[in-house]
Amino acid sequence: MTATISRTARVGAVRQTAAMSRRSIMALVRQPALIIPSITFPLFFAALGTSSFGRATGLPGFPKVDSFLDFSLAGTIVQGVLFGSVQSGSALATDIENGFFYRLLASPTSRLGILLGRLMGAAAYGAAQTAFFTALLIPFGLHVKSGVPGAIVMLVSGGLTAIAVGGFMAAMALRTGSSEAVQGVFPLVFIALFFSSAFFPRQTMSGAYRHIANVNPISYLIEGLRDLCITGFSASACAKALLVPAGMMVVSFALALRSLARRVAAQ
Amino acid sequence: MSSNAPIVASQLARHFGASDNPVRAVDGVDLEVREGEIFGFLGPNGAGKSTTVRMLTTLLRPTSGMARVAGFDIVREADKVRRNIGVALQDAAIDPLMTGNELLELQAVLYGIAPAGVKSRAGELLERVGLTAAADRRVGTYSGGMRRRLDLALSLIHEPIVLFLDEPTTGLDPMSRVTLWEEVRRLNKEGTTVLLTTQYLEEADQLADRIAIIDGGKIVREGAPRDLKAKVGAPTLLINVDAHHSESAARVLGEFGDMRPTAEGTLGVGLTAGARAVTDVVRRLDEQGIVVHHLELNEPSLDDVFAEATGHRLEGEK
Repeated sequence: MTATISRTARVGAVRQTAAMSRRSIMALVRQPALIIPSITFPLFFAALGTSSFGRATGLPGFPKVDSFLDFSLAGTIVQGVLFGSVQSGSALATDIENGFFYRLLASPTSRLGILLGRLMGAAAYGAAQTAFFTALLIPFGLHVKSGVPGAIVMLVSGGLTAIAVGGFMAAMALRTGSSEAVQGVFPLVFIALFFSSAFFPRQTMSGAYRHIANVNPISYLIEGLRDLCITGFSASACAKALLVPAGMMVVSFALALRSLARRVAAQ
Repeated sequence: MSSNAPIVASQLARHFGASDNPVRAVDGVDLEVREGEIFGFLGPNGAGKSTTVRMLTTLLRPTSGMARVAGFDIVREADKVRRNIGVALQDAAIDPLMTGNELLELQAVLYGIAPAGVKSRAGELLERVGLTAAADRRVGTYSGGMRRRLDLALSLIHEPIVLFLDEPTTGLDPMSRVTLWEEVRRLNKEGTTVLLTTQYLEEADQLADRIAIIDGGKIVREGAPRDLKAKVGAPTLLINVDAHHSESAARVLGEFGDMRPTAEGTLGVGLTAGARAVTDVVRRLDEQGIVVHHLELNEPSLDDVFAEATGHRLEGEK
């Protein structure tokens, strides 16, 4: 045997987490059927909005934009990330269903690494989606007023949002151990998106719709990203784009950790 | 109970469900697997084999009792146990989207193998299990036998002291089964202690130095297959007669030894006087006008050991 085997008490948790992240990204890349909806649907809605609601930019309460695309980019990014994060949770549930999760548990890898690896993979995909949507829409008239610094904040925000939503999905996967149950949450994710400022500014809404959008954190996340796109780089835009998903991430990660502990203890 | 044995369990139990009426999946198992042996855990589906293995491999907490694996307590020192054991669970839980090579490299990282050694160790193991040519193919394209061999390779990545194989050949064709047996023997010769669960009598007989028969969550027999079979003693004579002769044939057989549990439609007796009593049995049956359609004399098998211990047979229940 020529392998050099490290039997030190502390195994490289960072290396393990990175390996698990690579695996989750590889799984996505090798299943185009999982990627395509999370790319095409948001683009479809962006195209539909631009072609159908272009004149809505003149409505009172609508921010001043050069193109409807400037307005819709934030919704497109968040929509894509939400779609992608559901897949991340579903993949974790599949690991539980087919027993791979127990192979990981039988190894000396840290339990936290199993979860972190999955979420880091989701974050990388979320950031990649953000970059892809932004780059793709620029030739069609998109302007990112905040420039490169703003775009970097948007990428980070996309990654954080993926971890935040992925955390909720991971909690669901660990709680149920069923990929179907995780996929079943998808309509709720979509409803959360619709009852936000993803497609119209909150200022143009009324009644219950506006009340829900006002308490929906996704509205503030989207508005942060949108401000970076249409008004330029500002502390308030960065705060909304980063702190809202970071706050969601804290809550969802705590839930996911709790679910992980319950699943491991139940074994 | 020797504390130096690689696997030691004392009154190990796991119950499921409500505490006032629990399902006792494993109900007070005492076990000692000695260094360098292949230990077979034999029993039908639901007997408690896999639950025991899951506890010994730290995947399941015992309800009560204790066990030490590779010298470490399975509850208090679970992480140390994991570093020293290899585990191939039922159904070869392998990610079908990854290649054999990628899976081995991932496993190497999970077990803390230094980066410089990862590729060579993966290549070494792929060669060992005969999967070098398929190393870069996705596991989803592997046959059942290939998946099992890869599973075995994965469990060996860190050169474990103790190897757990949970029904390693279930669902495999005879050729793949024999290939896997050969590999397990080779590993054992190199010094790895192996605990394997199986519901195949032949597998336990062929591979195991010692076996434990588990039924209803309890170990009902333990020892070397040869010793266990010798204890059952007499060979079993099996006959098939017309249904309306069953009762009278059973009476005749009863004159020659104890009746043995058999499959429906067959009568069996342990011949106290050994094989030489067969002619007397046939003569007595003939005198009674009983037509024998089929007659078979079996030396004691592990199935006889199982039947003697539990009152029912293992074969035919799978």
